[in-house]
Amino acid sequence: MNWTVNDLHIILVGGLCAMACALPGTFLLLRRMSMMGDAISHAVLPGLAIAFLISGTRTSWWMFFGAAIAGILTALFSQWITRFGKVERGAAMGIVFTTLFAIGLILIKQTADDVDLDAACVLYGALEYTPLNLVTLFETETTILQVPHAAIVIGATLLFNILVIGFFFKEFTMASFDPALAETQGFRPRLMHYLLMTMVAVTTVAAFEAVGSIIVIAMLIVPPATAFLITRKLPVLIALSLIVAVLSAILGQVSSQALPYLFGLPETTSSGMMATASGFLFLLAWLFGPDGLIKKRTGELEKPMELED
Amino acid sequence: MFKSLILLPILFLAGACTKKNKVTTDGTIVTTIGMIADVTREIAGDKQEVINLIGEGIDPHTHKPLKSEVDRIQNAELVLYNGLLLEGKMGTLLNTRKEKGNPVVAVTEGLEDVELIGDADHPDPHLWMDVSLWTKVAGKIGGELIRHDSENSDHYTQRLAEYQKHLTDLHTHALMVFPTIPPGQRVLVTAHDAFSYLGRAYGIEVRGIQGISTESEAGTKDINDLVDHLVEKKIPAIFVESSVSDKSVKAVIEGAAQKGHTVKIGGELFSDAMGQPGTYEGTYIGMMDHNITTIVNGLGGTAPKNGFQGKLND
Repeated sequence: MNWTVNDLHIILVGGLCAMACALPGTFLLLRRMSMMGDAISHAVLPGLAIAFLISGTRTSWWMFFGAAIAGILTALFSQWITRFGKVERGAAMGIVFTTLFAIGLILIKQTADDVDLDAACVLYGALEYTPLNLVTLFETETTILQVPHAAIVIGATLLFNILVIGFFFKEFTMASFDPALAETQGFRPRLMHYLLMTMVAVTTVAAFEAVGSIIVIAMLIVPPATAFLITRKLPVLIALSLIVAVLSAILGQVSSQALPYLFGLPETTSSGMMATASGFLFLLAWLFGPDGLIKKRTGELEKPMELED
Repeated sequence: MFKSLILLPILFLAGACTKKNKVTTDGTIVTTIGMIADVTREIAGDKQEVINLIGEGIDPHTHKPLKSEVDRIQNAELVLYNGLLLEGKMGTLLNTRKEKGNPVVAVTEGLEDVELIGDADHPDPHLWMDVSLWTKVAGKIGGELIRHDSENSDHYTQRLAEYQKHLTDLHTHALMVFPTIPPGQRVLVTAHDAFSYLGRAYGIEVRGIQGISTESEAGTKDINDLVDHLVEKKIPAIFVESSVSDKSVKAVIEGAAQKGHTVKIGGELFSDAMGQPGTYEGTYIGMMDHNITTIVNGLGGTAPKNGFQGKLND
């Protein structure tokens, strides 16, 4: 095993990314919209195609812009279909992202067939490569302090998410558990919903751009779901999600380097291993959590959650 | 609670910052793809250790990134990559490193726009398919080696001249055997567009079944048009690639069969990656020798079965 400073950089970026995703992911879980990240990962395709048609280039900024708009539209359309089409949320997301993805395919086929435009090529970053672009934070004669550029981007996203959720905590809570009550108390649940969805879309696309897709999709879902097995108190739920997110990043990177080595194999992918580690932590919580295997959870999940703020 | 949360990313940042000494290199030359590694090894001989990142037989488009590649790039004394967006995200990051003054070179740098295919912003990156262009790239690589290690410049100059002579022989051979294909049958059909340079250099029409992007699938109309084209021109063979699935190729063969025209698979071509390391096809010259021989013989021309220097096994 060859542990270097790059592993620390990867853990830094992965950990920040995991937290930035787990935070809005907690509220997605409460709204049963956890697959939003996966939906957005497909729905960005027409955004990329249109951004390319308008700009004629595949530069990151245009691609990011196109993808972010497409992400926000995915959230908006899903909400409208749920409301006016009387379709269950999961199905509504399915309708929206498959349709958008298909429109993206058609657009590319008709206009840009000779250009390599898939998201994997023009949008997704690679967590493993983030240490290649370092930014110097400060430098003296003997020491130099550097972090990956992606850490700054994702760190800013995380900070933004913390500020928004912190500022509208009451509103978000109310809107998640009891929209009707929130309405009567003047908390404007619909506005909160759109705000959350915008947050999710921007976070997802920014993180896709910086570190790739699998870790983002995983961290939106798994840490909140793991925390949900352990607690039903919202502040604790959020804190636990963040802890699970960071643990997944650390555990993932260590095992990506160490596990294959134990079997005499070369290292494996960091982002894949971090996502796997989060799944492993979920398994642990499911087996050894406060209710553990003993109590059947399925029935309980159907009940609305108690508010214990 | 949220006040303390705000401190979290800052704490996390601070915790992961590390003391760093001046960057040290291990003296290696790192390349991204096998075709560049092979040329560099040929020119450098035993004077340099060359490490290649994207393994033989792996399509650079589907390569999964690893942390150790970052270590290797950072430790390298010189990094050589293709550029023209072939390496995707890694290429973008390598370009950033180059701009920051690190020893990173795109081997396609310095080629004229007219030598490239595709529009100026998005040229086709598969230029090793034209041996004469790759000879120029070899010159670029040789120049970088000399600049990087001027003590051994005579060694590099001599080996470069020998290797380029070898490449020129291969190019001349290709220019001689391609015209043996009957004029009406000079159409190369493959699964995806990686052979434009080969088509331009050796006078053969190239048609890919699917577009460049892996998200774009071949439509039914595309397949039908292609089948009509094959039947009309009586093209005897189409080709599969070592790194691309042959599903769409089979669809075309079935389509032609329904119209009473037999198309066979002319053989497997190396497009984005070379053959197994240690074999003749695992070198750039061997890979191109194989491609040229397979295409020419598959389309009804005559090329020596053992290649231009008798090293190919069939």
